[in-house]
Amino acid sequence: MSDSAAGEDAPLIEVRDLERIYHQGEVEVRALRGINLKVERGEFTALAGPSGSGKTTLLNMIGCLDDPSSGEVRIEGERVSGMSRTQAAEYRLGHIGFVFQAYNLIPVLTAWENAEFVLLMQGVSREERHAILDPLFERVGLAEYKDRKPHEMSGGQQQRVAVVRALGSRPRIVLADEPTANLDSATSASLLDLMLELNRERGVTFVFSTHDEMVIERARRVIRLDSGRVVADERDEGA
Amino acid sequence: MWKIAWRNLWRNRTRTVIIASAIAFSYGLMLISMGVSADSYARMEEKAREATGGSVLVHGAGWWEGQGSDVVVADPEPVMTRAEAMPEVEAVMPRVIINGLLSSARGNEAVRLSGVVLEREQALADLREDLVAGEFFSEELDSPVVISEGLAQRLSVEVGDKVVLTASRVDGEVTRALFYVSGLLTSGMAGEADLQAYAPLKLAQEAVGMGDALTQVGVLVSAVEAQNEVIAALQKVEGAQALEVLSWQQAVPEMSGLLEFDAAVNGIYFVVIFLIVLFAIANTFLMAVMERVREYGLLSALGVGPGQVGRLVIWEAFYLALVGMLAGLVLGLTGHLTIASVGIDMAAMGAGDMEMAGIAMNDLVVRSHLEPGRWLLASAMVLAVVMISAVYPAVRAMRLAPSQAMRFYE
Repeated sequence: MSDSAAGEDAPLIEVRDLERIYHQGEVEVRALRGINLKVERGEFTALAGPSGSGKTTLLNMIGCLDDPSSGEVRIEGERVSGMSRTQAAEYRLGHIGFVFQAYNLIPVLTAWENAEFVLLMQGVSREERHAILDPLFERVGLAEYKDRKPHEMSGGQQQRVAVVRALGSRPRIVLADEPTANLDSATSASLLDLMLELNRERGVTFVFSTHDEMVIERARRVIRLDSGRVVADERDEGA
Repeated sequence: MWKIAWRNLWRNRTRTVIIASAIAFSYGLMLISMGVSADSYARMEEKAREATGGSVLVHGAGWWEGQGSDVVVADPEPVMTRAEAMPEVEAVMPRVIINGLLSSARGNEAVRLSGVVLEREQALADLREDLVAGEFFSEELDSPVVISEGLAQRLSVEVGDKVVLTASRVDGEVTRALFYVSGLLTSGMAGEADLQAYAPLKLAQEAVGMGDALTQVGVLVSAVEAQNEVIAALQKVEGAQALEVLSWQQAVPEMSGLLEFDAAVNGIYFVVIFLIVLFAIANTFLMAVMERVREYGLLSALGVGPGQVGRLVIWEAFYLALVGMLAGLVLGLTGHLTIASVGIDMAAMGAGDMEMAGIAMNDLVVRSHLEPGRWLLASAMVLAVVMISAVYPAVRAMRLAPSQAMRFYE
């Protein structure tokens, strides 16, 4: 598909023949070996696999955080791999929300300031920021925690703020890299349920990397990776 | 972003306070040093101007080398008239300078006798301030002369005693002239000032058979910048080809050279201080950047471009400079105002007998004088040093690849 064909007809995410080779001294590490996949709008997809299988590398490629050695990534038909760092940053700002495993929040900003950071960067007015973020804070149960700094909140609360920030920026995709890795089971379940509900309510596409079975069980599609290759692509048709 | 920068600044308070203190002390001490230097240079120049006889000096051509009585300004009228007509000129002082021997019943001493018009000399220096006995040119005495205390002691004379001047006449013959000691001046120090003596202009002219000729016309100019203009004008007067028109800096190049050398040493001192501050701040910022690699990765992932990440570090440096310079300004201005009002007595500091290029610097009380232009320039330099010190850390932060930065602590 050419860039001119970009738009509603194209898959939300399309990965073609993606390869990523790292060089560690003399050693060549092939993190991704010819990945091909498509993700449609509104999916709740998990990239599963053991450590070193290439989950995070693939997520970084989709999120324009890293460039492939060969192959390409398209979002809504637009080629996003190979952009300059400034172009990639601008693209992320407008289209992609992130939830990371840890260190998700800027330590010197409060929960509210963290959440509104991307909206501020997008040039959204104060009134609109409140209109977008106030319901989200209510929704994730953190309305009383807006003025707290990250170190004054639990890990689960911090992840919820990260979710608010990711969704508040009105992205096409939310990419979450091992979002529950540092959380206990109950908090993980609560966070996942929240993200699932938001996925259903708002139709936002979520793509996770995880090796947490709880996340895998809740995903409606699981793409299994091993040694940089897709080894299975399972859909929960009943979901 | 400026909010993050400001809060980042205070994440490690101890480190910020130490670096801000370094900036504050460097900046504050630089302001004090600049103020004191500017004032001391001005005072030294004032002393040099007094010692040489004015801002601009007119002599017979070649006088400055031998300083003989035979080299004169034969017709001083055109020079004096032209100088007095210039608005930049504050005073015109006709002088006769005689290097000779002063004798008493007890012995002979070298002397440098200046024939002056006392009233005209007031604009340059009030010679009467240095009187310790007698008076300047007493009307009760026929041929009054004022000599230094030291000279009087060596000649064993007092006010009212006779002394005889032996010197060369304009025509080269040796002549003798009788004077009466009218007053004694403080010596201040051993050296050239101790040889100085003063007599009324007319008497000095008569003593060496000069007629209306002069040895020197001293011209006091209101501003240094106008000196060259006055020199150029005086070089065009009638008979100027037989004259030598010099600024005091040209007349005593050793003195202006010393001042320039001192200013250059001060400049080097500032550069060394700036370099130390620069490296200290650069090191601190680099440490801060390396501590926050993951955060810069996060910011980048959220859509903050490399340029904005760099600006975040630069903003932080700007705030640090602002805090440090505000504290330094308080310190510097307090020091400046205190020294400007109290002054530093150089004699009390052990510099009572200081002499530069043969010019006595006695009774030197240095105060502080800050010129707004130089102050602004110095402030801009300090700000620039702090900002420059943040450039390399900012570039390092900009170059962090987001995917690598996010993995930094894993």
